[in-house]
Amino acid sequence: MPGQDIQLAISSSPHLRSQETVPSAMKDVLIALLPVTLVSIYMYRFYAVFLIAVCMISAVLFELLFRKVMKKQATLYDCSALVTGLLLALCLRPGTSWWTAVLAAFFAVGIAKELMGGLGWNRFNPALFGLVAVTLLAPLYVGANPSFAPLRQYFGPLDVITQATPLALIKQGAFEQLSLSQMLIASPGGALGETSALALIIGGAYLLYKKQIRWHIPVSMIGTILVIATFWGNPLANIAAGIPLYHIFAGGVLLGAFFMATDWVTSPVTTKGQVIFGIAIGVLVMLFRKALGPTEGVAFSILIMNAFVPMIDRLTRRPKFGELPVKKEAVVPTKPSVSKST
Amino acid sequence: MSVKTFERGVFLPHYKEFSEGEPISTIALPQEVIIPLQQHIGAPGQALVSVGDKVKAGQKIGESSAFVSAPVHASLDGTVTAIEPRPSFTGDKVESVVIAVDMEQKEPQWPERDHTALSKDEIKAAIKEAGIVGMGGAAFPTHVKLSPPRPIDTIIINACECEPFLTCDHRMMLERTSDLVEGAKLIAKVVDAPNVIFGVEINKPDAIEALQNKIAGENGLSVVSLEVKYPQGSEKQLIKATLNREVPPGKLPLEVGVVVQNVATAIAVYEACHLSKPLIERVLTLTGDAAANPGNLKVKLGTPISHVIKERGGVKGAPPDAKDELQMPPHLVGKVIMGGPMTGWAQSHLNVPVIKGTSGILLFSPAMVVESEHTDCVRCAKCVDHCPMFLYPNYIGLYAEMGNFDEAAEWGAMDCFECGICVYVCPANRPIVQFVRQTKKEIAAAKAAK
Ligand code: SF4
Ligand code: SF4
Repeated sequence: MPGQDIQLAISSSPHLRSQETVPSAMKDVLIALLPVTLVSIYMYRFYAVFLIAVCMISAVLFELLFRKVMKKQATLYDCSALVTGLLLALCLRPGTSWWTAVLAAFFAVGIAKELMGGLGWNRFNPALFGLVAVTLLAPLYVGANPSFAPLRQYFGPLDVITQATPLALIKQGAFEQLSLSQMLIASPGGALGETSALALIIGGAYLLYKKQIRWHIPVSMIGTILVIATFWGNPLANIAAGIPLYHIFAGGVLLGAFFMATDWVTSPVTTKGQVIFGIAIGVLVMLFRKALGPTEGVAFSILIMNAFVPMIDRLTRRPKFGELPVKKEAVVPTKPSVSKST
Repeated sequence: MSVKTFERGVFLPHYKEFSEGEPISTIALPQEVIIPLQQHIGAPGQALVSVGDKVKAGQKIGESSAFVSAPVHASLDGTVTAIEPRPSFTGDKVESVVIAVDMEQKEPQWPERDHTALSKDEIKAAIKEAGIVGMGGAAFPTHVKLSPPRPIDTIIINACECEPFLTCDHRMMLERTSDLVEGAKLIAKVVDAPNVIFGVEINKPDAIEALQNKIAGENGLSVVSLEVKYPQGSEKQLIKATLNREVPPGKLPLEVGVVVQNVATAIAVYEACHLSKPLIERVLTLTGDAAANPGNLKVKLGTPISHVIKERGGVKGAPPDAKDELQMPPHLVGKVIMGGPMTGWAQSHLNVPVIKGTSGILLFSPAMVVESEHTDCVRCAKCVDHCPMFLYPNYIGLYAEMGNFDEAAEWGAMDCFECGICVYVCPANRPIVQFVRQTKKEIAAAKAAK
């Protein structure tokens, strides 16, 4: 009988798929991070290469280790550990000890991601979680053990890393030391990922173009910071001094807006929710900056809002198709039904 | 020319180039036809014949007294050899009349009549007698759809053919333009609808032109050009695009004064009224990257799909052998689908018959067969961005996977019409449509238990 002895795939509809996969998306993020990575390597040389290598390798190893211990299938192919490792490195200052970097990767991939259930289940952005964990723990171990001493011992001195961060300069009102155009194109100071605003903007534009992120979070977050920075104090004087732009270019705002706050897993899926999320992060960032010193304000702000994501999703659910009244009905495209000819 | 559309949805590759230039043709008759007694949504029919009976093409062989049902007819002259459950395209077995087809077929004669003279009730009776159901796939009995409990002002003819690969509606619009327009007018007459709109996607400019020429100077008829976007041919999206009316969740188009009918259905209505011809054959598209000879074919209902495939040269690179047996080498063909690629059904064996709702038979090479493994949702929101019903497919999938079906329904599972977009765009390849089906089943079972 025809049709017997055949091997055909049986699966539920639909039978077509887009080209989009998790690894392809992660690769897009890696590509988008390339410009700023190159600038940081140009600025910090070995310090940058070393930190990036330590973070990416340990992120991968911790993912392997945790999944092995938890007896889960390896998921390295999804490339998310590489992205987390690179993002983490970009959040660290050159000269950070290798121990600190490994510890941060442990918190990022091991605790924040794998212990929470793996990619998709993590509530907090892994890289930022790792960064904040080592920032908070630093007082406990620095100085306790000579092996935690900064890298300078191994790589020799590097002037730029002792330079004050742009954010500290703003705090001191010492703008003249760093022009806006320097900050935009490339300038040392701060973390690896804070070396060039332009490189970050190019990366963000690439992600937007590839539709890996939507504009809502970056625009609402950056816009909020711009508005608050303008109107906190004398708006005209602020604008004349370029203060709003300093706030955007400094202290990881762009890295946060394009690469951290937009993290798929830890941001809202609703459009309204994404706008609220971005505005709230912007407000928190400015509060941190005005109230505290030049700390990891962006990282804390994003992590705090990460915690509210499920609630934001639930509260900003859009109505289904047909649940709202339609504003204007189209005119039925016909000729008058009274016939002229008979 | 203004082009209209609905919100969200997705642009799909068309894959129509395989068959869109192929005029409708016929194939050699099969030796056996299998006529399922239920080919529609509603009550199953009872067989009106017994094993051993001689039947004539067009003879009614199954019927139900329920209102929501449609009769079925013998598609060829022959002898009933069995009345038994046979596999249908969904994989379930359906009570079917099996007919051994006579070698010699008498060309059936359909008496012509003036269809414009028929009254509303006569048209509706003719539609019911002919066993017409929605031929786009949903297979809802047409005479039921044309008995709305409220006034209808517009008939929309769904001429989008928004599923990739399929081209049979396109060909019919070109080759049977006048029958289509007459059928649409008959449908409008039944429900007293003053307006008829043909909604056509702009990737069929020749069809738009043909229709425009045909209806020129007629009152109440118009052609609306629509963007090529999936699912443009879904009723609710089509109504939104053409009239900017939204059918509320859980309601039917008649709620907003509209009835939607597809191209093939309208032509069947014309044939039922003009020729008293029952629905015993349909045009379908045989295509796919593994099809040797893609085309648009007029096929007798009940023809096994293996016969259709074989008659069109079988699988590309593997023609039927010397004994005329169909060859299906696994390295050349990986999947056979009945219907369109977004909503159709993958077939496990090929003795399944063509029925009233079969719009296509697709042969996919192994390279076209999609990965079945999925990972956890990474919350990319792509499904949320594209869902044409504005649901949250990510949460539906998440909760259904956990077994929390109430929560899955809360995020919209019951309003999902299984268009498949969320699965198409999902980078984690999550089988959300399956989760939706499971949720619907569980919720229905929970309701029944109460
Ligand atoms: S949830 Fe349903 S309606 Fe929405 S995209 Fe998925 S299949 Fe289509
Ligand atoms: S498209 Fe897939 S991965 Fe993305 S949110 Fe939807 S279900 Fe999750």
